[in-house]
Amino acid sequence: MDYFEPKTVGDALSLLAKYGEQAKVIAGGTDVMVDIKYKEEPGCLVNIKKIPGLGAIQENGGSLRIGPLVTIHEMETNKLVRERLPVLWEACHQFASLQIRNTATIGGNICRASPSGETLAPLLVLEAKGKLAFAEGEKTEAFASFFQGPGKSSIGSKGLLTEIDVPYPAPGSRGVYLKHAVRGAMDIAMVGVAVLVTPDNAKNNVQDARIGLGAVAPTPIRASKTEALLRGKPLTAALIKQAAAMSASESSPISDQRSSGEYRRWIVEALTRRGLEQSWRAATGKEVA
Amino acid sequence: MSLTINTTINGKSVSASAEASTSLLEFLRDTLEYKGTKLCCNTGECGACTIIYNGKPINSCVTMAADANGAQITTIEGLADGDKLHPVQQAFIDTGAVQCGYCTPGYIISVKALLDRTKKPTAEDIEEAVSGNICRCTGYAKIVDAINLAAAKL
Repeated sequence: MDYFEPKTVGDALSLLAKYGEQAKVIAGGTDVMVDIKYKEEPGCLVNIKKIPGLGAIQENGGSLRIGPLVTIHEMETNKLVRERLPVLWEACHQFASLQIRNTATIGGNICRASPSGETLAPLLVLEAKGKLAFAEGEKTEAFASFFQGPGKSSIGSKGLLTEIDVPYPAPGSRGVYLKHAVRGAMDIAMVGVAVLVTPDNAKNNVQDARIGLGAVAPTPIRASKTEALLRGKPLTAALIKQAAAMSASESSPISDQRSSGEYRRWIVEALTRRGLEQSWRAATGKEVA
Repeated sequence: MSLTINTTINGKSVSASAEASTSLLEFLRDTLEYKGTKLCCNTGECGACTIIYNGKPINSCVTMAADANGAQITTIEGLADGDKLHPVQQAFIDTGAVQCGYCTPGYIISVKALLDRTKKPTAEDIEEAVSGNICRCTGYAKIVDAINLAAAKL
């Protein structure tokens, strides 16, 4: 296996172009090292951790620009992430263990494109975008279209994620990230649900609702029909019940060693309900009528 | 592809070669003979291989040996001062927090890292610090006792 530590994005892209499918990008390594041991060794490992400028968190007007090499623990301990992006912060806080959070990177969690990637449902509801570098040039893509299947994204084998731009949610909005797993620590989510609710000025109706679902479809998804159902309506218990059932029907979970598909659907329903109730209460100071 | 790795382990400069695919755990145990750091799940889930890397606890089994280049590493062998055990090690003995002992080096490293961060850990700090370490023997209560004892003595 060949091994490189490129010092620039351009050098990394040249290596990816040269080695094609044989190349594997590694940053924290918490997933890639396991693949090397138990699946297969790539022809070439491109360690991007020595590229300067990819590890900062910076405020940019109404959003946070996050470097892909920022570790999950750096996210968790960053004041701006905690205060401005609490839904994403919560996912980072619940991520694996401290040891893994000290090593794993946000860029790795995204590019791994696992349906259960902890930060992905929050990034979808926050409508975050990635800056993708290719040999032919750079493009910005919303994560809404980035994920294409388990382990597949529009970054392919030739691109590099160089920045994550996460817009601050609308003033007055509140959200939660709810994870269902057997253990608190170290467990991969059976289901992860991110909810963000913006009430109207009078705090009577839902102005905007966003629901992100993790681990219940080939990619993390938005429950967009459910969101449309909620928009413009007063958030009553009856509406929440209807929305929770719809959210479950928008999921298409598989059965695996962690749980059956049927069970996952029940959990999507329960967490959507809980997420909407909690977010509404936090945003309006009122219980759901 | 063989790499030359220059690193600092428990304050000592070390230089050795490793294959690019080698984990830091294999490098420590098999190349450098630091056998105190344990191989267990080998997938980053159990914490038996925990070391302190540039001040932070990490799982060495899912870290590249190549990343040791230029790093400061502390393993369990670096804690005792000659024959005198580190207060965290002594606390694990005094409270009976060791049974089969296989997870113990990883725990002690996680606790050392915790007490380097904070002198007076809360119950929540303790739970977070060792939630990435699995012990199949003790039921955890005595480990928490050991951490509280070590914190009181340090």
